[in-house]
Amino acid sequence: MRNAFCNVRDWLTVLVVISAVTGVVRAENWSGWRGPSRNGVSADTGVPVKWSAESNVAWKTPLPGSGISNPIIFDNRVFVTASDGKSLANLHVICLDRDTGEVHWQQRLWGTAPTRYHGNKSSMASPSPVTDGRHVWAFFGTGDVFCLEAATGHLAWHRSLSGEYGVIENRFAASSSPILYRDTLLLQVDHYGDSYLVALDHKTGANRWKVDRPGRWLSWSSPQLIRLSNGRHELIVCGSQRVESFDPGSGQALWSAGEMRRECIPTPLFIDGRLYVVSGPSGPSMRIRPGGRGDVTSTHVEWKNSRGSPFVPSAIVVGKRYYLVTDAGIATCLDTTTGKSVWQKRFGGGFTASPVAAGNRIYWVNESGVTLVIRGGGDRYEELSRNPIGESVFASPAISQNRFFLRTTRHLVCVKQSDEKTP
Amino acid sequence: MRNVANQQGWVVMLRTQRVSRSSVSVLVLFACCLIGPSVSVSKADGIDDDLAAVARTGPGGRGSVAAGTATRRLSRNGLELLPRLLQAMDTDNIVAANWYRTVFETITRRELSRDPAPEFPVSLLRSYVTNPKRQGRVRRLVLDLVERLEPGATRALIPGMLDDPEFRDDAVAAALTRGDRAKQAGQTDTAIAEFRKAFRSARSPGQVGTAADRLKGVGQEVSVVAHMGFVTHWHLLGPFDAPGTSGFELVLPPEKQVAAGVDLAATYDGKGGGKIKWVRHHSSDRLGQSNLIRAIAPVKEAVGYAYTEVLSPRSQTVQIRCGADDNLTIWLNGKQVLKRLQWLNGTRLDRFRTTVSLKRGRNRMLVKVCQGPQHKNPAVPNNWSMQLRICDAQGGGVGVTNGLPAVPEKNAANSRELNR
Repeated sequence: MRNAFCNVRDWLTVLVVISAVTGVVRAENWSGWRGPSRNGVSADTGVPVKWSAESNVAWKTPLPGSGISNPIIFDNRVFVTASDGKSLANLHVICLDRDTGEVHWQQRLWGTAPTRYHGNKSSMASPSPVTDGRHVWAFFGTGDVFCLEAATGHLAWHRSLSGEYGVIENRFAASSSPILYRDTLLLQVDHYGDSYLVALDHKTGANRWKVDRPGRWLSWSSPQLIRLSNGRHELIVCGSQRVESFDPGSGQALWSAGEMRRECIPTPLFIDGRLYVVSGPSGPSMRIRPGGRGDVTSTHVEWKNSRGSPFVPSAIVVGKRYYLVTDAGIATCLDTTTGKSVWQKRFGGGFTASPVAAGNRIYWVNESGVTLVIRGGGDRYEELSRNPIGESVFASPAISQNRFFLRTTRHLVCVKQSDEKTP
Repeated sequence: MRNVANQQGWVVMLRTQRVSRSSVSVLVLFACCLIGPSVSVSKADGIDDDLAAVARTGPGGRGSVAAGTATRRLSRNGLELLPRLLQAMDTDNIVAANWYRTVFETITRRELSRDPAPEFPVSLLRSYVTNPKRQGRVRRLVLDLVERLEPGATRALIPGMLDDPEFRDDAVAAALTRGDRAKQAGQTDTAIAEFRKAFRSARSPGQVGTAADRLKGVGQEVSVVAHMGFVTHWHLLGPFDAPGTSGFELVLPPEKQVAAGVDLAATYDGKGGGKIKWVRHHSSDRLGQSNLIRAIAPVKEAVGYAYTEVLSPRSQTVQIRCGADDNLTIWLNGKQVLKRLQWLNGTRLDRFRTTVSLKRGRNRMLVKVCQGPQHKNPAVPNNWSMQLRICDAQGGGVGVTNGLPAVPEKNAANSRELNR
């Protein structure tokens, strides 16, 4: 993936190596939805395991309005989106200092066409933004896409997709998070109206390509970008009834597989050359070998299992284990190779946030704001800690530079290791 | 804000407002800007060029580079820019409006952070807020600023905005609160007056229902159906057989007849082999919902049709707002005006909207509602229903009445069970 984003990651890799030699611990950015790999996994090794509302909180900053987008972190900046006001059409992009939580800048903008939303579980600020360190791109349920300078918040461009292609008809507000591919920003806009995929020039906002999806309707899933062993990239999109692959450079359809549910929310995972997709409730998880052509349902689906499929939270893979949690808090661990069940456990509480992992630790945040940390990758369930933050949480957490970022319904909270020095 | 009365109002304000010398220029600029383009200060200059550059932004990211440069320059101005900026912000180009807003935010934030803060042209800002011809989003933004400058301003301004396109909901909420207080204080007549004000002006379904409930609580009955424009009188036909989810694309006899006129006397082969014919139906549901399970049949994988005629007092552009379980297609006067695919999502109020033209007098409407297969979860109850209203862009009734001949209630299939 020869894009600016990847170049930055290359440099970070170099920094990590240098740091390892010099004994300084450095760690990754979390530059978009579900982190650098979009799989929810961080390479950080020193992420906190225990905290509470009173302990190991580096800072806690109030946020305006509502939002379930995950915060993104790049170097010393944290970006988060929110919406408030009449019909939640007042949109915010906020940049905070990673070390102190101070607001560097805040841009308030108008949304074109707010859709219906559903209490705490969704908002016009449901999609997570994405950054390459120089710019931040934010998509909102109002159908607006903004590009802002990361350092200043200055607006670089604005597209009103609702104004150009029709209001997004989505009863819980659109939540698909954009993804960067080379010099384009890719968006999945599936809804009751005219669904489409669109690639925008990341510098100007102009269309590079747009593909209409007449057979696809309501979906909240975010697209995934994968790189095959032959170096080719594919854009993976979970929509109603099918998971589909497209050429991210042209929008050309490549392959698809059926058996997805009518409405999809979880984001597909790509681990060790295999895709893991799920749509629930009661739909199957499937492991798919990408790279086919046409309908690959009977040729490339390696296993499927409907056990424990969630409606909202995305899945996560750690080692050879595939983990799910239902919205009602039933967790399931499957073997990645066979798809067979390893264990099932009631976590407690409802779940909207998707899990994240660092090393072999998996972090599950329930709607009451309790983060359950378990050891992943093994054959047995092993709980490491339960950490209440004292506020409801519906947004997925983020991990960056060995800190854990929790977006509650009222605050952005940064959790640190107990022995971390205060900057 | 361009009529003579308003211009005179500005002059009066300029005479009476206590202003510092520095803010006089702001006031003059603002007033001149609002009076019109003939005033000399509005001649083309760097600022006009920059404002114009932003105005040229639009679809496809058009004009972003020029707008970026222009807004950087514009943001370096002080409060003296506000009048012209607000004038420019009064646009329905949302992209340009957002660019302007970044300038507004930068300038006002910077000026508010000064110690002491400079004198803002509050009276002029207030006038902008209260002008219903201005863009609502800008008025609301300016009201936020006024509230910061003069805490309590919102509370003072809102009650008089019951019919304001932007602040109607806020004013209705305030009226409901006043009514509640009056009722608690035993002032029933005052409570009734406040609740009536709220009901008359309410357009959001929640507020309409709340106001109707409050009125009922003080012995006053009102019709939510009439207020919101629900269509409740129908002829219904069904069920036609439609295996799986095939019903959406099936073209059945009523659709074939729709251009020439639906034959309400015809009989057809229905699902299961029996003959089906049109039957009269009236929904007594408070929000006009029709339960087709009861009114047609408790079936799955089927298609039903609803036909009505409505009378419009004039030729007018209106919205059809509707929802159905499962999906629906609508023809108005023989022409398809809406077709939406959805399965198993329940009938949700105003889920879909389309703008249509009604002719004066009789208008014919055919609605097709599909019924899909049972949800995979057998515990999910079978639902087949529809809801439709004809209203203006704010959601208020538009005087459309039933055009079907009256039938005794006992002869009509009913949906009273949905009463909420």
